[in-house]
Amino acid sequence: MSDRSLLSRLLASVFACLLFLPAQVRAETELRLAVWDGDESLRVLSQVVDEFEAAHPGIKVRLENVDYRYFFQRLLSQIAGNSAPDVTMLDPQNMQMFAKRKTLLPLDPLIGETPSLRLDDYYQPMVEVFRLDGSLYVLPRDIAPIGLIYYNKRLFKEAGLPLPDGNWTWDFEPRPELGIGCFTYCMKALTKVGANGKIERWGFAPSWTGAFTDTVAFSQGARYVDKPAHFDRLNFTDPRVVKSFEFVADLANKRHWMPSQTELSSVVQATAVDLFISQKVAMYQCGIWDVPRVRKSLQPGSPEFFDWDITIAPGYKDPKTGVVTRAAPTGGSGYGILASTRYPKEAWLLTQWMAGEPGMRAMAKAGIAQPAIRRLAQGEDWIPGPNTPIEQRYPANAIATDRATEYVVFPPTAEYWTEVSGLAFSKTEPIYLGTSTASAALGEGQRIATARLKTILKEDKLPPFDWRIGAVSGILILLATVGWVYYPDLRTKRTAVQRQENRASIGFLAPWIIGTLLFTVGPMVYSFLMSFSKWDIIQPAEFRGFGNYQEAVFQDPRFWNSVKVTFVYTVVSVPLGMIFALALALLLNTKVKGMPVYRTFFYLPALASAVASSLIWRKIFQPEGGLLNTVLFGSDSSQDFFGLKMILGVNGAPPNWIGSETLALPSLIIMSLWGVGGGMVILLAGLQAIPEFYYEAATLDGAGPWHKFRAVTLPLVSPSLFFTLITGVIGSFQVFTQAFVMTQGGPNDSTRFYMLHLYDQSFGSLRMGYASALAWLLFVVIFAVTKFQWSLNKHVYYEGAS
Amino acid sequence: MNKRNAVLHNLGRAAITILLALGCLAFVLPVYTSLMMSLKTPAELATTAAWSWPKQPSFANYSEVLSNPNVSFIRLFGNTALISTLATLGTAISASLVAYAFAKVNFTGRDRLFIVMLSSMMLPAIVTMIPTYVLFKELRWVNTILPLTVPAFFGGGAFNIFLLRQFFMGIPKELDEAAKIEGAGHWTIYSRVVMPLSGSALATVCVFCFIYHWRDFMGPLIYLNDPNTQTLELGLATYNSLRAEQWHLLMAGSIMVMIPLIVIFFVGQRYFVKGISMTGLK
Repeated sequence: MSDRSLLSRLLASVFACLLFLPAQVRAETELRLAVWDGDESLRVLSQVVDEFEAAHPGIKVRLENVDYRYFFQRLLSQIAGNSAPDVTMLDPQNMQMFAKRKTLLPLDPLIGETPSLRLDDYYQPMVEVFRLDGSLYVLPRDIAPIGLIYYNKRLFKEAGLPLPDGNWTWDFEPRPELGIGCFTYCMKALTKVGANGKIERWGFAPSWTGAFTDTVAFSQGARYVDKPAHFDRLNFTDPRVVKSFEFVADLANKRHWMPSQTELSSVVQATAVDLFISQKVAMYQCGIWDVPRVRKSLQPGSPEFFDWDITIAPGYKDPKTGVVTRAAPTGGSGYGILASTRYPKEAWLLTQWMAGEPGMRAMAKAGIAQPAIRRLAQGEDWIPGPNTPIEQRYPANAIATDRATEYVVFPPTAEYWTEVSGLAFSKTEPIYLGTSTASAALGEGQRIATARLKTILKEDKLPPFDWRIGAVSGILILLATVGWVYYPDLRTKRTAVQRQENRASIGFLAPWIIGTLLFTVGPMVYSFLMSFSKWDIIQPAEFRGFGNYQEAVFQDPRFWNSVKVTFVYTVVSVPLGMIFALALALLLNTKVKGMPVYRTFFYLPALASAVASSLIWRKIFQPEGGLLNTVLFGSDSSQDFFGLKMILGVNGAPPNWIGSETLALPSLIIMSLWGVGGGMVILLAGLQAIPEFYYEAATLDGAGPWHKFRAVTLPLVSPSLFFTLITGVIGSFQVFTQAFVMTQGGPNDSTRFYMLHLYDQSFGSLRMGYASALAWLLFVVIFAVTKFQWSLNKHVYYEGAS
Repeated sequence: MNKRNAVLHNLGRAAITILLALGCLAFVLPVYTSLMMSLKTPAELATTAAWSWPKQPSFANYSEVLSNPNVSFIRLFGNTALISTLATLGTAISASLVAYAFAKVNFTGRDRLFIVMLSSMMLPAIVTMIPTYVLFKELRWVNTILPLTVPAFFGGGAFNIFLLRQFFMGIPKELDEAAKIEGAGHWTIYSRVVMPLSGSALATVCVFCFIYHWRDFMGPLIYLNDPNTQTLELGLATYNSLRAEQWHLLMAGSIMVMIPLIVIFFVGQRYFVKGISMTGLK
């Protein structure tokens, strides 16, 4: 009895302490500023914020930084919970999304009251892209065209080429007569082929192959959609687009002047900058944001150093007319004020400061972002002068960034662009891999994306979600669940013992029952109700009936594929993982020396940070010089010790594991085996619990090792095996992180797991109602599978079972 | 005959050792690679193979991470340790209670209720994130460690309950029946019989739970937005910004974040081994 009271007192006191923690009082105005900057710009920003606080006594600013990948998930949660920051960083596409839903404050009245701020000072395209229906919602901070070429001066000299001045052009054929004026010719001239025919250096590499294709297509005047803000037609089959894809794929796969998708091996991470630094490419295309990284790696005086600079990307010269047209796909960001702020005046002061001279001067100095205020981007903070410290003198030709802004092309801002373009572009990956022609792949992409676009544009008038019906259904669901648990036993006679057991169970189950009622049931029922609605997180939900479920099963072009991918992953990885874990546990259960060390080693991958290991796995799977290929095929990948090349369907070239449509999913499955440490520990604990005398008895009966394993080990470890099976299946149906950080679902949706699709729908496309329907479909499947597996419980041997 | 057996035995042992060593090599490789990368300069990282030995191993990246004023490693370390410890404590207490009921108390509808309990693992957390956030916001818990610790005191999660239940089921019923005959109630059996016999299971759950909370990203991401209250995983993400990854710092940071976990696992595993040795009573 004393244990019980001690325990409850302990729980009560812990809970009581925690309840009083959050009470805090603040005297000054505290503004919250949300940004998605990395470490380097964060250092600059916090300095700027300190200066703002010094200049504005009484205002404190809290800088809330989180990476772009997770930024909107957090911001949307905060908006839904009515605890949004006061000022937030936004890019054009997301600004449209929030402004349309009236979560942002229009800035024009504030600008009207602030004579010192002149919008004419800013790059005009950047201002225009932040308008919706004529009102400005975001004050531009930086402009970021991907229209820059970083080049290695030393290699230009070696190739006997003069340095580029940015007036170069390209067309589909190299023009040696133009010399430095022809970009394609330069690519060719800078490419170095070794004696054995192997490429030792490429002329050019794009940071993202897709961004280079965009540049090529846009500079011919092609655009993917008809109206950027609200398009209803796609132009992926425009002959200029088709030709651009063909051209870029040929540059890599046929002409070998630029690394192919395989060689770049960059599904997510751009490695072009690394190739540039190690002088394996002579030029590469990127935006200005790579400068800090290049500067850091190429410090003057260091052995790695070589002279480098930037210039603008070439324009397209029409071979017939001789007319040159240019384009630079562009991004950029700015600061907007949330309509929910309690301090609009102070928030405006902060916005002006951050996006204005004080903030952007510092950003420019650090070389991080090209200021949207044109004067600053032309001034000495951005352009190196005679007084600039040596390490900031690169790139000398920083003024190229100003010229690049004349050719900006922003991506479409309609919020369905992400989903629609994602569908189309996933089909174009085989073009770069050389497994499909441009016209076939783009035709397919156009078809699927257009069908999806039609569904999205079909705006149904939906009634608002009726919360009274919602509440009633919620209660009914709960009653049904309780009924399912207790109804089958309702008729059985309650003996005194049974009643006693029931009473005792309540005490033990209390924490779980309270926790479930408090924290779990509400959100679960809520998401269930939302699965029948159209809900974008910000605006009130509308009732859609079974529309979401119907859309998933019959219309969503990615639904069945993601089901298939997830199913294959589960069916292969769970049994494989269990066999692996059991084998390891059996090995470690022998009396070997240094067992604790071994065990820790086998558990290490499960301890490592997911992000860090994803990078390392990319390096392991890298086709050229990757560890796996080196082990399997030798360092020049010419060997084939195990006859694997045939099995993997690759001839000659080393397999491109995560970059290939057929091998990406197997690669992720192989990778998952490194996570068996958890299962191993559980099974090992089960094995260790088997009393020695069972084995002794079996030996006396003359049993061999196999028989002992079957008759003693397997039954006694079956509770642990059962546990790893059930939790393994539940977990792998919801597999997400690996694909999210490593492949983003590619290539060609071959690793688009169900959860990845669900995530994109929820926080990416703001279709939380639809995502909820997807989640509940998954729930039903997992529940059914678990219920089925539960029938195996009969065969599980519990020593303590009655 | 005996001699042959001994040879076979030794051969077997050698085979096991070789298998283990090879396996270890493969499993250590990712962490070894991060370690190598963390000892290199950015330029060397860009120009050499990831797993090569650094020309001049340097701890400069480590000191840079430790001295970064915007991502105060020491403070984040403290926050993470507090959250993980409290959550582990809560889980150990509450999950063992709940698991005991599911394993040893024979109440009406037990197995179906257990499936209901498990079903909380089956719904993707993404779709309950917003309502859960709103709930914690209404409780005024956002920006405190409460959303990350208090729920652990109320059940501790289906995974842990299930794991403990499996272990408890393995405790021979003769033991609790003997206690019952002596007039003991369930509370006494729980505290005097089951808990003392479950050291290994509890250690396993505690270590898993600690590691889980130490490495949790989504929870702190949503609930902690004041930089001073954040955790190490969130801090690490600063070095992994989409267009400005700083691999050298990220690797150094992730090695440091891992070290406490290695220590805890290494120490904790001694208790994994001490299985339910009392089963020998039979």
